[in-house]
Amino acid sequence: MSRTSPLERYGPPIAVFFLVIALWELLVRAFNVQQFLLPAPTVIAEAFFRTTTNIFNSAAYTIRSAVFGFGLGAGAGILVALITARWTTVREGLMPFAIALNSVPIIAFAPIMNNWFGSTNPLSKIAIVAVITFFPMMINMVRGLTLVEPAKIELMRSYATTPLQVLIKVRIPNALPYLFNALKVCSTLSLIGAIVGEYFGGPRDSLGVYILQEAQLFRFDNAWAAIIISALLGIAFYLVIIGLERIAIPWHASIDKQ
Amino acid sequence: MRPSPALSLVLIILALLIAWELIKLIFNLDKRILPHLWEIAVAFSQPARRGGPPLFSVLFEAALYTLRGALLGFAIGALLGFILGTVFAHVSLLERSLVPYVIASQTVPILAIAPMVVIWLRGSWLSVPVIAAYLTFFPVTINTLRGMRSPDPRAVELMRSYAASTWQTLWKLRFPAALPAIFTAFKIAATSSVVGAIIAELPAGIQQGLGGAILNFNQYYITGPERLWAAILMAALVGILLFVAVSLVERVALRNIVRAA
Repeated sequence: MSRTSPLERYGPPIAVFFLVIALWELLVRAFNVQQFLLPAPTVIAEAFFRTTTNIFNSAAYTIRSAVFGFGLGAGAGILVALITARWTTVREGLMPFAIALNSVPIIAFAPIMNNWFGSTNPLSKIAIVAVITFFPMMINMVRGLTLVEPAKIELMRSYATTPLQVLIKVRIPNALPYLFNALKVCSTLSLIGAIVGEYFGGPRDSLGVYILQEAQLFRFDNAWAAIIISALLGIAFYLVIIGLERIAIPWHASIDKQ
Repeated sequence: MRPSPALSLVLIILALLIAWELIKLIFNLDKRILPHLWEIAVAFSQPARRGGPPLFSVLFEAALYTLRGALLGFAIGALLGFILGTVFAHVSLLERSLVPYVIASQTVPILAIAPMVVIWLRGSWLSVPVIAAYLTFFPVTINTLRGMRSPDPRAVELMRSYAASTWQTLWKLRFPAALPAIFTAFKIAATSSVVGAIIAELPAGIQQGLGGAILNFNQYYITGPERLWAAILMAALVGILLFVAVSLVERVALRNIVRAA
């Protein structure tokens, strides 16, 4: 693949960004669109500066649930994958089941967590985020640890290496791209999980409750400001993972394609 | 010797059910934390409201309602995603200017916008398929684009040397090559469309679906936790069902395609 110049690469998306914002502002003003449909960008920005403390307090609460849940769920997923990658029978019995569970709308369990821990207890959101992130991480890690070229394993065997050395020198490096793919999926899921968990009940200072409440009170500019902040949070979380990926596996091909 | 997948699945489900009751026994958990399995089973057969139909038929109706929204959303989203992915695969300028946004919007907690979609559509049922379609369209777009780009450059050159038109290359080479990736996206989307349909019912205040049922039984959790569990198990079942259905279609559709090792 030929490398594109920075202008070619970043020019079009940036142009689209400004075009969309300008068009949005223009259309809302020209057609006098009602606020409940879509407030103009300037109105949303104004609402944001008016309610900064509220939004930041809510965002801080939601991020905390998302990040702690993410750490717990992804960590447990990696651990279980490392254990099951060792025993073929356990893995082959467990994988179809994990894939089936992964297709369950786990978010539906959020009310149970709210009842277990109390809806204003951060643990209820951390728990649901942990469960949501566990399965994609485990499934991807097991794939990464096991889909190794047999020739590599045979070579290692011919050097009389121990299974632990095979794990560290072959399986884990092979799993790293899968790990980062899963981390990207989980970063998005963790924020969605935290916010939707709050839809089912949460403290007043949390993004999910804030968005829902402001929308119900017809303060759409405030709701949109909070929505845009949660969108930016999602993108930031994702970018952090991409940054880590570039540091950890700079050799991997998929990095260049993004 | 490998046990058959069906047998191991049955064994694991049995193990899980036993673990459920064991945990309940060992930690002496209250009904409000974890009801007995048979309590949930009994709840299915008893009326949810005095004089009403049994809970099972109530939840079955709700599941059908939610499934309808999810399926419609899935169909719209899959079609849209396929068209967009195909266009992006062919028009490089559009790909470069729009795909970063498609990827970025995947990282955005889409469901945060759900309350707004509900307001746009004035709380009508349409907000359910719209949100389900929104969640479906992203994975399908990205995987269609990747799949359409996946054929060996030599195969593309061969098509060109036969003077094949862009359309012919699309249908005879790119589309079959993209199918495995597209079905992977469909499997992801099957689950997210159900999630989208359930969540969309919350801000819309729709009572007839599973989202409404979960919200409703959540309020009576103290007196009847087994009913909330029953509603959630039903939601889980719908998700698994749609996933299995897509997997079966995948098996039929891909039976002639040799997977690259």
